[in-house]
Amino acid sequence: MLVALVGVPAVLAAYLTAVGLMSLLPADMWWQSLGATDVADPRQLLYRHAFLPRLAISLLAGAALGLTGTLLQQVLRNPLAEPTTIGTNAGATVALTIATLYAPWMLEQGREWVALAGGALSTLAVLALAQGRSFSPVALIISGLVVSLTCSSASALLMAANREYSEELFIWQSGSLIQNGNAVVFGFAPWLAVAGIAAFLLLRPLRLLDLSDEGAESLGTNPVVTRLAGVTVAVALSSMVVAAVGVISFVALAAPALVRLAGARTLRQRMIWAPLAGATLLWLTDRLVQVLPFASEIPAGVATAFLGAPLLFLLLPKLRTNPDRDGVTLSSVRRRSGWVYLLLGLLAMAILLCAALVVGRGAAGWHVASTAELADLLPLRAPRIAVAVSAGMMLGVVGTLMQRMTGNPMAAPEVLGVSGGASLGILLLFVATSTVSRPAMIAAGLVGALASLAMISQTGRRQPVANDRLLLSGVAVATMASAFSAVMLASGDPRLDTLIAWLSGSTYRATAADATIAVVTATVLLAIVPLTIRWLEILPLGEAASRGLGLGLLRVRLILLVLVSVPTTIATLVIGPLSFVGLMAPHLARMLGFQRALPSLFASAILGGMILVSADWAGRMLIFPWQIPAGLLAALVGGPYFMALMWKGRQ
Amino acid sequence: MSESRRRTETAAGSLTRRECVGAFAAAWCGVAPLPARAARPPRIACLEWTSAEMVISLGVGPVAVADTKGYRDWVVDPDLPAGCLDLGSRGEPNLELLTELRPDLIVGAYGYGLDEAPFKRIAPLHTVPFYDGTEAPYRQAETETLKLGAQLGREVEAQRLIHETAATIADLRAQFSGRADQPLAVVSMFDDRHVRVYGKGSLFQDVLDRLSLANAWTAPTDSWGFSTVGIEQLVAIGEARLISLDPIPPHVKIRIDQSSLWANLPCVKAGNARTIPPIWPFGGLAAAARFATFLARA
Repeated sequence: MLVALVGVPAVLAAYLTAVGLMSLLPADMWWQSLGATDVADPRQLLYRHAFLPRLAISLLAGAALGLTGTLLQQVLRNPLAEPTTIGTNAGATVALTIATLYAPWMLEQGREWVALAGGALSTLAVLALAQGRSFSPVALIISGLVVSLTCSSASALLMAANREYSEELFIWQSGSLIQNGNAVVFGFAPWLAVAGIAAFLLLRPLRLLDLSDEGAESLGTNPVVTRLAGVTVAVALSSMVVAAVGVISFVALAAPALVRLAGARTLRQRMIWAPLAGATLLWLTDRLVQVLPFASEIPAGVATAFLGAPLLFLLLPKLRTNPDRDGVTLSSVRRRSGWVYLLLGLLAMAILLCAALVVGRGAAGWHVASTAELADLLPLRAPRIAVAVSAGMMLGVVGTLMQRMTGNPMAAPEVLGVSGGASLGILLLFVATSTVSRPAMIAAGLVGALASLAMISQTGRRQPVANDRLLLSGVAVATMASAFSAVMLASGDPRLDTLIAWLSGSTYRATAADATIAVVTATVLLAIVPLTIRWLEILPLGEAASRGLGLGLLRVRLILLVLVSVPTTIATLVIGPLSFVGLMAPHLARMLGFQRALPSLFASAILGGMILVSADWAGRMLIFPWQIPAGLLAALVGGPYFMALMWKGRQ
Repeated sequence: MSESRRRTETAAGSLTRRECVGAFAAAWCGVAPLPARAARPPRIACLEWTSAEMVISLGVGPVAVADTKGYRDWVVDPDLPAGCLDLGSRGEPNLELLTELRPDLIVGAYGYGLDEAPFKRIAPLHTVPFYDGTEAPYRQAETETLKLGAQLGREVEAQRLIHETAATIADLRAQFSGRADQPLAVVSMFDDRHVRVYGKGSLFQDVLDRLSLANAWTAPTDSWGFSTVGIEQLVAIGEARLISLDPIPPHVKIRIDQSSLWANLPCVKAGNARTIPPIWPFGGLAAAARFATFLARA
């Protein structure tokens, strides 16, 4: 099995490589021009300084990612651990973004150290947050997600504010393996060699991590030191990959998972086979993108996301996951279901809405609009505030619904890929037709959201509380969507300003019609949702209990699916896929003590609305006359806030 | 023939007809032309750089332009007038500030995906269509300059700009014809592994055609007249001259200099790689003239 897993793609890739080489250079010259290259001959130049380096970097980066994934999964005892899920890639990316835009001199010696610093910092943050819960899989992934979202919001914000300067970043973040000579390969290979040796020196202590920590200690190793060493090697390796070729998603997750499925039981086996599998995977992908009949080549990093995501869906049912014991519980104050508090919240929201309408900045500075001025300003401000508040309320409700439905504290439209699915639909529509017509966008978004929901519920069905799987499928959809937008951004089409604005959650383009659609959907949702309360109280008890209490599970699930997907699509359309509110608002509501279904639904609606309205207002004011998209700002402020909560709530 | 004489001749010959075309175009756009030479200068706001370049080229100083810092880095010339306000990003020009400025006319360019309705509520909107596939960019820049001139009451300046640009290019063409006929490729470098190379359908291609210079890049391009390719593909241009546009970030330059592939590209090895100052590739006539001028100096 293992040999086939590595061998079949390798043979295929070798065939494609040979065909590619043949068309470049006659076979009898391959060996000769390897050492003694006649660079005056364009064919030999391309062979030696473009073709071979690219081949080498695809193998090296793939192997590095395979090893990284294996190490992280072993060290953290988490089958989902990889540089993307634990925040390393996002940290390296934001560090490189900041350096490129504001301190290019730091990059003169190469990107490696900057990427390493960023990756190490963000990974440290994730580990610190997850540490209190002894690195439980879910705690780790939620920390990784929060840190990644925060970092990628920061990168997106910086790029949006520096549009013309970001072309380099757009190209780089899409993970292109194109090489311009030997430099990158020669720089990267020693790192991989050192990391490989270090990893094998760590083999024995790492293996002992399979035991309990006490057991490992009794055998004379310090598990904390082992973990630290393992994570250090992994972070260094993945930061090097990011520095060398950009973000290549999924390989670090897929390669170890594949070799495990193919029968690699021991750690030694996995540490040998996973890098091999990673290398062939990336090699094959990179060859495939070069023979695909597209006008411009798809970067390998994007292609791995596209190939890897469906693969993961196929593999999910076979993947053995640890039953998850402790979810993420944020410290909650005493239980509070008092409607008085909800009314107070409603009042606060009303005050906030009025403030957002009248207070603003102009050419002459801050001012409160007079009634006469409001006549001018209202048509500009009202739609933006209306879509912000409705989207926030919808996401809050949907997040609560999803958390109740799945019994998963991390469920949210953003996390489980519903927003990702909706944006994928909209992006595909944009590519195919260049259209920005609202009805078409709503339809496309809805199809995408429903499709991803269908996939998620398919995954979740066999094992009702398979938290890891649910998350994994969500991560898969979200990664696919972001990979897709990355390739579009890299295309350099000037029309993409619209897309960038939308992806970052701007209310700028909100029209009166958008506002109406959003407000109506939010109102209908809030009116319908109380009817589902009984289901929501019962569903978290599990499938058997729900059946016993007489719920027609299929019908209930279908209704709830519609209740989740329609508002998510509308919210995604008006505020973009990246808002974080669906995850944040329900947790805040619970923290404030709203535990029962109905009050918690309304509380998270109010909180969600307030978060996005504040974010929208602040986004219009902070760097006037420039504007920060509301979704970005919500994620940028919400992320660290969420981290602080997790930090305080740790045992 | 002296430049000025030719300019006057041509200008006198076709002024009336051009004026008619301009007025007709403006009427067709549904926007009444501004009163020519009004008592106070018209307050113009520009939503992006191409329209800003065109408006300034016609001798009108806009009160506000989107992303003024970017304009100074990427378009450079013609200079933004002192006191020109920043409107925010080109993707999201600030509507509240725009409302407050009460412009007489808002000028934007087609293709940025901005919805026109909100701007039309603030002031009449003149949209410059570019890269919509109807006409070659240079020809379209001329047509649009005339339309804009009619709109701003600057028909004479529009005529003059068209003829000056044509004359500049014609003069340079004479200069080039003295040199050995060598094809060239024009690229922007954003990172050290890829270039954006300009070809068929770009403004640069039109200028090259008018200079009777051959573009070494003949592969297909997208609808904006460029394509993003790995630098290894520059092998295809052989020893042609390679013109790269500034600004190239310093760290990218360093990494390019370290690249063994770059150093061995036929065009680089032959010493034919040159860098010229920034030119806005999606610009109008000013960008075209600027391109021709820097090309002659490269």
